[in-house]
Amino acid sequence: MADFRLVAERRTEFGKGSARRTRREGRVPAVLYGHGQDVVHLSLPAREFAAALRNGGSNALLTVVLDGKEQLALTKDVQRDPLTRVHEHADLLIVRRGEKVTVDVPVVVTGEPAAETLVSVELNTVSIQVAATAIPESIEVDVTGRGAHEGVTGADLRLPSGATLLTDADALVVNLMAAPTAEALEAELEQAEAEAGIEKAVAETEAPEAGAAPAREAGAAGAAGQGDVVPEPQDQGSGESMQATENS
Amino acid sequence: MLIPRRVKHRKQHHPDRSGRAKGGTAINFGEYAIQALEPAYVTNRQIESARIAMTRHIRRGGKVWITIYPDRPLTKKPAETRMGSGKGSPEWWVANVKPGRVMFELSGVAEPVAREAMRRAIHKLPMKCRFITREGEV
Repeated sequence: MADFRLVAERRTEFGKGSARRTRREGRVPAVLYGHGQDVVHLSLPAREFAAALRNGGSNALLTVVLDGKEQLALTKDVQRDPLTRVHEHADLLIVRRGEKVTVDVPVVVTGEPAAETLVSVELNTVSIQVAATAIPESIEVDVTGRGAHEGVTGADLRLPSGATLLTDADALVVNLMAAPTAEALEAELEQAEAEAGIEKAVAETEAPEAGAAPAREAGAAGAAGQGDVVPEPQDQGSGESMQATENS
Repeated sequence: MLIPRRVKHRKQHHPDRSGRAKGGTAINFGEYAIQALEPAYVTNRQIESARIAMTRHIRRGGKVWITIYPDRPLTKKPAETRMGSGKGSPEWWVANVKPGRVMFELSGVAEPVAREAMRRAIHKLPMKCRFITREGEV
């Protein structure tokens, strides 16, 4: 695993105003803790930090240089803005070379399963205990030739040497299901389209007018025993009609 | 179509459309997702239409998750009715979606197929959306 070196600066002022100033300067506010040490508030260069996570994954081993002293750290938690994708804050956990750490490693599926088989990753990450300097970027699961109901459990995973699986060995990691038949899928879609009032030719290209009389459909669904208990409005005609008033 | 089975109150106030999503902003189930970039009320018909568009494109190859639910009723007064005489009747069921919310997730297909399927689904939705991947989440 590549080593990512980040030059950190100690933070002396706190709060959202200070954090925003730090971000405007192109740095990410962060905290560094672990091994019984006091929490250190620092900031990291945003561009290098983003590159480290992009290239090394969420378990990238970082070398944080603070006041000329180097410390190894893992990201414990990273906050990102969901819209701008900017890193807003990071929690860094101090680790030592050779120390075993618990990390969640992503599961990557490779290979093509047997025909008519769907692959569903049930556990996107598995928890393992491994030396801090030997964390794998991902754990590969080869599904080549596997058919339906030949799923992969935790016990089937090939872990790197020295790693221990902490996730339940019986837990299903990758599920392999039989694909629905073309007829079954077509029938299901046609029924859904009929229920939603979508014409098939329209469904391929453009959405129909939304909201056309859904209250009536809601009533129909209730009548069909689907459990909708929202009743039809009784007072719909109680409002005074303008036309009726004009006629009188 | 998605409709609540039972509601405590038939008629509610209009949901608040301000602010940004405070949860449901990350991919939890699939590999790819549609994320809202603007606030909107998404009706159950629009959700179903988007799901059908996606499923028709991916055929039998993948799995779709819907991560929003239309649990808010919107009412409408009948046409040519004077004001007053109480609140109108429930007309739509909507999900109150705010920017950043992940609405649909997809897995089991290659990225180009997923991208095209979700592009078709985005056309059925009433707001600006974007395609995101789990890899880009890190």
